[in-house]
Amino acid sequence: MDYRAFDRARRQVGPLELDLVESYAKGILPRREFVRRATVIGLSIPFISAIITACGSDDDGGGSAGTSGGTGTQPAATGAGTPGGTIRVASQRPAGPLDPVAMQDLGSYGIIAQSFEFLCTLGDNDIAPGLAESWSPNDDGSVWTFNLRQGVKWQDGSDFTSADVAATMDRMVAAGNSGLKGVIEAGAVDASDPNVAVFTLASPNGNFPYLVSVYNAQSCITPAAYETGTTLDASPNGTGPFKLESYDAATGATFVRNDTWWGGTPSLDGSEYLFFDELGAMVTTTSAGEADAIVQFQVIGGDALFNDSNFTVLAFQAATHRQIWMRCDTGQFADKLVRQALAFTFDRDQMVQTLFQGRADVANDHVIAPFYPFFYDGTPQRTRDVEKAKSLLQEAGVATPLRATLHFGQPFQEIPQLAQIIQVGAQEAGFELELAGESLDTFYGAQWCPETPADPPCSGAAELGIVDYGHRATPDVYLNAAVATNGIWNSSQYSSEEFDAAFQEYQTAVGVEAQTAACEKIQTVLNEDVPVGLPYFYNYLSGHSNKFQGVRVSALGQMFLDQASQV
Amino acid sequence: MARYVTRRVMLSIITLWLICTIVFVIVSVLPGNVGRQLAGPFAPPETVDQINERLGTDDPLLTQYVRLLKNTVTFDFGDSFQQNRPVSEVLGDAFWRSAKLVVLALIMTIPLAVSAGVFAARRRDKLADRSVVTLGLASSSIPDFVSGVVLAYIFGVLLGWFPVRAQAPDDAGIATQVRHLFLPALALVIVYFGYIARITRAGMIKALDSDYTRTATMKGLPNRQILHRHVLRNGLQPTVAVIGIQIGYLFGSLVALERIFSYPGIGSTIFNAASRKDIPVLQASVILVGIIYMLTTLAADLTIAWMNPRARVVTADT
Repeated sequence: MDYRAFDRARRQVGPLELDLVESYAKGILPRREFVRRATVIGLSIPFISAIITACGSDDDGGGSAGTSGGTGTQPAATGAGTPGGTIRVASQRPAGPLDPVAMQDLGSYGIIAQSFEFLCTLGDNDIAPGLAESWSPNDDGSVWTFNLRQGVKWQDGSDFTSADVAATMDRMVAAGNSGLKGVIEAGAVDASDPNVAVFTLASPNGNFPYLVSVYNAQSCITPAAYETGTTLDASPNGTGPFKLESYDAATGATFVRNDTWWGGTPSLDGSEYLFFDELGAMVTTTSAGEADAIVQFQVIGGDALFNDSNFTVLAFQAATHRQIWMRCDTGQFADKLVRQALAFTFDRDQMVQTLFQGRADVANDHVIAPFYPFFYDGTPQRTRDVEKAKSLLQEAGVATPLRATLHFGQPFQEIPQLAQIIQVGAQEAGFELELAGESLDTFYGAQWCPETPADPPCSGAAELGIVDYGHRATPDVYLNAAVATNGIWNSSQYSSEEFDAAFQEYQTAVGVEAQTAACEKIQTVLNEDVPVGLPYFYNYLSGHSNKFQGVRVSALGQMFLDQASQV
Repeated sequence: MARYVTRRVMLSIITLWLICTIVFVIVSVLPGNVGRQLAGPFAPPETVDQINERLGTDDPLLTQYVRLLKNTVTFDFGDSFQQNRPVSEVLGDAFWRSAKLVVLALIMTIPLAVSAGVFAARRRDKLADRSVVTLGLASSSIPDFVSGVVLAYIFGVLLGWFPVRAQAPDDAGIATQVRHLFLPALALVIVYFGYIARITRAGMIKALDSDYTRTATMKGLPNRQILHRHVLRNGLQPTVAVIGIQIGYLFGSLVALERIFSYPGIGSTIFNAASRKDIPVLQASVILVGIIYMLTTLAADLTIAWMNPRARVVTADT
């Protein structure tokens, strides 16, 4: 290590950045994670390079760029590609109006992201400068300053300013956006300088840039005059590389290149989004060559694309997972020994192989995915142990067979098959689970989190069920909504002072070491109490025809085509 | 005839009222909160309440029921909750698409099935007859969503002869549209060919065995004249009735096929409206299918009455 160079570099930064730099120097963080985290908190590329050079590490942390953490790109394109052309993208049909604030589904996220942009956009490793050129926190991470890119124009020709950022954030706060709930309040953005947006947070948050990035899809910046309820098709006025030309909620959308885009002229003339209701139909259409790219597909039913030599699969680790919730307050699973017993019947390796052909990470009954930089790898992995499950049931004094109904929504990807695997695996230990697959509307409305009784939220939930969670760049929403006391999606009705304290510690921690320490407590308590069984985190799969290159995707249904071109 | 038509129209109005009532009851028992679904899981309760108030989904059930009846009479169901545009536009587009698919399927099915039925009836109990009957039974026992998947895989993915996406580009001509619709239409042909062919065969056999055919033969009329003037006119009446019923049934049974071939017709619209609690679209689309069913059945009955005066006399007397 070049100590003089290292010392010179570390004197330039505040406490939050210093914690990260020292974590890297001590070897706590591999280089890849250091770059990722440094980008998130706004360190410049020259500074990051200086630190890496000073430390002289050759550790690359494993994996190649774009294979973890919810981003995917094809290998770097060689050559500029052929200008022009239109790419046809197979996408889920948006579930509702294209309202950037109220949208809740991947289909809408993908369409919105063509025209609207974020302060922090998709980077090779993680997030990268978007409408903000740079950002930095104060010493404790409670105030974040975003320096906005200058010269950016809305597609109607008006200037993009910090007033647009402030208005967007106020709309999100009013709508109760999941990512920003409790993080900022109305009026949190100081827009006195049109080129600078200063966020004052309700409490310190080291992950804040994620919450105004592509990973919080509703945080796309819309014009100040954009009233709540305005939709993209009614007012197609973004700052992004493509302009919405036509939109039909039933069939699809077309976009044309925005020649005045701040990032330069995109190579493609435009894109055509084709809407589908079924992932299977998306795969078939793409296999038949009627679509050039597919926003998302599943391992089950995706063989045609895996086996197509003319198709590039973009696969990367994501935090997408399923939670098997068990009521902790009442019923047969109120005793944690029973919950542990059921978790011991999961054959996680079999699930990963059967349902995902290995394209998933084994999970350990907590929501901290292994690719998060603050993941604590010391929690003992729970594996299938039928004898242990039997003895736990005996210890709990439960008469076997323990009969319960496992609720789930269908059709929904691999969940019906997962339910069957759980049913079969649990039978040997003394559980007799009846499978209750219901329409998604019935499942969400009547089993997972009924509207009534409203206090505490989800207190009308069934005692056992499987629910889906999409990818998040940080686990805050999983922790806050699903397992924190009175969380709005807490269908297990879990309440633990120990967990709540650890979660609070995690939220206020601004350095990787502190976050990892908090996550150790979170992982341990969730693994012990098992309010939710969590067998795997599965990879996000997307891809495109080899006729195109430079296509980038996030794990939230967003396909970025600004760097895409024909081969 | 006028009395007959009046009676049928009155019956249709009563049927329509029953459909409205059933649709209302079904929609009312669907779980979920419309306002919550539209506002999102994190929206404050006040926002959810405002949306429900604006949409009228928190009105008393009787008020909502009367509104549905009024909407049905005027066929003005307001705006779609999910698409922010008039229901009439949403349904108009979807109906038009489904109509194209149904018409193409009928154009392919009717000549083929009727010819096969007539052919089989004239060769009763011979190999040709048994072949048609067996083929018809086999094909009609394959659900359209099964044959649809197989056809899409073989002719779309493997051979690449036809598109697997039934929705043609906006500027497509008729030939391109037919090409896009060919595979789902073929899946419908496979289902309905056997049914129509067997009905035709049965009707034709009955007509061929009837006294008037025997009399015509005894009179020495040429076979061709007997077939066209006496046998077909009487023998095809059940076929006309079945086709009339099947048209309405077709519109209501396209859900699976439209989803396989990603075709946003009336079936997909009903499915999406039900799963997303888009009540105006759901109510209007189910009522529309009911109206189509009634109209096509009525048209078939009137055609039969026109073809056979005895039918309208019998019906009017009962």
